[in-house]
Amino acid sequence: MTKAATMDAMSLPEADALIARAKLGDPVALEALYRAHATAVYNLARRICRTTEDAEDILQETFFEVCRSIRNYRGDGSIWGWIRSVASSKALMRLRRNKYRDTDELNDDLMPARGGSAALRMDLETALQRLTDTARAVVWLHDVEGYTHEEIADQMGKTASFSKSQLARAHARLRVWLGEEVSA
Amino acid sequence: MTTSHLDMDQLLALRDGDRSEPGIAATQLHLASCAVCQLELDRLHQRTARLRALPSLAPVQNEFPAVRDRLAVDRRRKNWRATATIGLAAAAALLVTLIGRDLVHPTRLDAEEELKTEISRSQQLEQELHDWNPDQRVIDGSTAVVVIQLENRIAALDAQLSAAAQLNQKARMHRELQLWQQRVGLMTALVDVHVTKTSNVGM
Repeated sequence: MTKAATMDAMSLPEADALIARAKLGDPVALEALYRAHATAVYNLARRICRTTEDAEDILQETFFEVCRSIRNYRGDGSIWGWIRSVASSKALMRLRRNKYRDTDELNDDLMPARGGSAALRMDLETALQRLTDTARAVVWLHDVEGYTHEEIADQMGKTASFSKSQLARAHARLRVWLGEEVSA
Repeated sequence: MTTSHLDMDQLLALRDGDRSEPGIAATQLHLASCAVCQLELDRLHQRTARLRALPSLAPVQNEFPAVRDRLAVDRRRKNWRATATIGLAAAAALLVTLIGRDLVHPTRLDAEEELKTEISRSQQLEQELHDWNPDQRVIDGSTAVVVIQLENRIAALDAQLSAAAQLNQKARMHRELQLWQQRVGLMTALVDVHVTKTSNVGM
């Protein structure tokens, strides 16, 4: 999981003081928050979305929202947890806007045949990119960011069963594409 | 005991310790005695670990200046709307006065009608901008600068409109008409900038 290194390096009182200043609109504190979490937000956005342009837009939109709404952050969870929820919501919103991708079913023609040679196996980055947008988002949010299926369902406006089924299908695909099938 | 091998739903339930998965006890029983499924589960764990170990992707450019510009636009807009609301309320009060006077001084009717038209047009543009809901749309940094400039000029005009109330009746009418005409021009430009630029963000 991606960590917000700068905030992690701060003591708790320092981090609290930074958040308190950010809540008062202190531009230096807001920029410090950005610097502490920009890479983590960008990474999440880039892993969920397909292009660097989308990820950059999500990064900007997330921090615009964070700076504008930080007064509403009550401190009952980590600041990264709150920023991440804003970022994932923005990323999922972007996927919905670009939903034409999800009508593009996984392209089995380009998959290595069962038991294909190692040379035909995809690397994990490529395989991840080949998943549909929804499947990739579920894999990343559940397996890497640690969201529950209920939380993902809530953000996607779907059911937990939908999230579970997307995850299972995605892993079944990844397993084949990465040449990880087990011979019975 | 489950006779066939475990499917991905069952493997994921085992990986995640999901006790809500139907038949989880039978699934665990099968796993204990099936080397193939044990290997599948190991590979699932390994794949998950590899996903978590993927390198962190960092943004190439600093987006904070753009965020700062957008925040400035947002603040200006809020201040400006508050000012505009007060200004428009004052304009409405003035209009009521003018309409009242029309009955006594019909010769001023044309200028006053023109003023009423400009105020009404300005209100329509305000509404158009409000309906466009620019807060929920993306604009780039250079557009944000243009928006700030336009909003500053409108705020300055509103201040001049307040000052015009101190002029004598004849001078005031002339001055207010000029200012409201300028305001309509600036509002039109502001609406155009928002509509054109946000339409170009790939929506």
